[in-house]
Amino acid sequence: MTDDPPQDPPGEIALVEAAQSGDAHAFRRLYDRYARMVHGLLLASVPRAEVDDLMQDVFLQAYRSLGSLRDGSAFGAWLARIARNRAHDYHRTSVPTEELKEDVPAPLSQEAEAMAALRAVRSLPPAYRETLTLRLVEGMTGPEIAERTGLTPDSVRVNLHRGMKLLREKLKGEGRS
Amino acid sequence: MNDDYLWDGSGKPDPEIRRLESLLGRFRHDPVRTSLDAGQTARAARRPAGGRWVLLATAATLVIAVVGAYLVSRVGDQGWEVVRLEGAPRVGSAAIARTGRLSVGGWVVTDEGSRAEIRIGTIGEARIDPGTRVRLVRADLTDHRLLLERGTLHARIWAPPRLFFVETPSATVVDLGCTYTLSVDAAGESLLSVTSGWVAFEFEGRESFVPAGALCATRKPRGPGTPYFEDATPSLRDALRRLDFEDDPDSRASSLEVVLREARPEDALSLWHLLSRMGAAERGRIHDRLAVLVPPPVGVTRDGVLRGDREMLDRWWDALGLGVSSWWRLWKSPGPPG
Repeated sequence: MTDDPPQDPPGEIALVEAAQSGDAHAFRRLYDRYARMVHGLLLASVPRAEVDDLMQDVFLQAYRSLGSLRDGSAFGAWLARIARNRAHDYHRTSVPTEELKEDVPAPLSQEAEAMAALRAVRSLPPAYRETLTLRLVEGMTGPEIAERTGLTPDSVRVNLHRGMKLLREKLKGEGRS
Repeated sequence: MNDDYLWDGSGKPDPEIRRLESLLGRFRHDPVRTSLDAGQTARAARRPAGGRWVLLATAATLVIAVVGAYLVSRVGDQGWEVVRLEGAPRVGSAAIARTGRLSVGGWVVTDEGSRAEIRIGTIGEARIDPGTRVRLVRADLTDHRLLLERGTLHARIWAPPRLFFVETPSATVVDLGCTYTLSVDAAGESLLSVTSGWVAFEFEGRESFVPAGALCATRKPRGPGTPYFEDATPSLRDALRRLDFEDDPDSRASSLEVVLREARPEDALSLWHLLSRMGAAERGRIHDRLAVLVPPPVGVTRDGVLRGDREMLDRWWDALGLGVSSWWRLWKSPGPPG
C-alpha cells in the first residue's frame, strides 16, 4: 500500500499541533480517532495475540516522535507507516511460534470459521488485506479508511473491490477443498 | 458484487460481506480494553490477569492505556536476570559467571572490580558500577522497585511513568520514562543525574521533577533538594545546596541572593521548585525573579502563586518549556472530560 497525498480531516491539524505542543489530551483524542486503524493494520499481518501489545508500541512511538511530524495533515499516513514498520519489525525479530495453532478452535465452530476468514484475508497482498481488515474487521467505511490512512478514496475503492474479489475466490477455494 | 455496500455500507447489503463482517467483527479493536474511564486511577483499575493486556485496562491516563498495559503485562514472576559485565559481581553469595537470577529480597553486589547489568523485567535495564549494593524490593506488575544502598546505578527505562522506582536512604526515585544515573554515598546521600526523559525524586510528600540535563541531590532527613541544570554556575549550585540542606538563616538569606542574582532563564526550573519550598517572604522575591525570566501565563497571579495555588503553579510550569510535563501530569490526574 502506498501513501498518497494525505487528506485533511476537520480539526485534525489543530489536534496534532496541540499534541505536539504537549497537550496530552489532544493526543488522547488522536488515539481515540486512530485506534481502529492501527489495530486493523496490525491485525492484517501479525498474530492476533500480539496486536494489542504492538498497538501500544505504535502509539508510544508516535507520542515520542510527534515533534518530528512537520505536516499535521499527514498524521494518519505517518501513524500508519509507524504501524506497518512495527509489524515489519515484529516479523523480523520474532521467533516463529505455534501461537496460530492455539488460536484455532474446534472445527466447524463459528470461531473456527472466523479464524479461517481472517487467515484468508491475511493471505492477500498487503494493500488488499489492510484495506479489507479495516473494512470487514474494524467496520470502517471506505471514506473513513481513506481519511485515516491518507490514501485517496479511489485507491481505497480499488483495493476494496479487488481485495474482495480475491477473497471470495479464496474462500470459495477453501470451501471446495 | 455490490460495491456501494462494500464501499460505505449503503445500498443493498451483500450477503457474503455481511457474513464476513459478522464473523470478523469479533476481532475488532475493543475500546473498553484500551481507552480510559475518567476518574479511575491506574492502581484502582488493576484486574486479575486474564490475558496479556488486561492488567491496567481502564487506567486513568493515556499513558497507561497506550503503553503501560503492554509493558507491565509482560513482567514475569521469576525474578530479574543479572548479567555480568566485568569482574565477579554477586547475586546473594554466589558470583555470577555469565548471568544470574535476582529474586525479590535478593542483593546484587559489585566489588571495586565488578560491574553488572540488571534486566528490569521487560521495562528497562540498570547497569551497576563497581562498589554498589542493590536489592530487589518488588517485582510486581505495576511496581518494579530496587533499593540502592550505596554505589552507582545507571537506569534506562522504556516503560510509562511510575512503573520503576529506586529507593535510596534519603528519597525515592520515580521513573517517568527516562535514562539516569543515581549515586548513593557512604552517608546515604544521593545525587541524581538525568540524561533523557524525566525523573521524580520523592520523599514524604516532597517532590522534585528532574528533566534531562538536570541534577538533584538528596540528604537525610530532608529528602530531595532543588533540581538544577548541570550548566548552572557553581555559585548557584552551591547556593541551592545551602538553601536545601542548611538551617542557618544568614546563610540561607545570602544563598537566596545568589540564586536570584545568578539565575538564567534555564534556571527557572530551580526557581519554580523554590516557590513551594521557601517561606512566604522569600516566595514573593522568587516569584518576581521568575516572572522576569519566564513571564507567568495569563491568569496566573502573584497572589495565587504566593498562596501555593496548585493549578497556577502547574500552569506556570507549563510555560517553562520543559517538554513533556503533561505526560507526568496526565498520569497523576483523572482523564480529561469527554
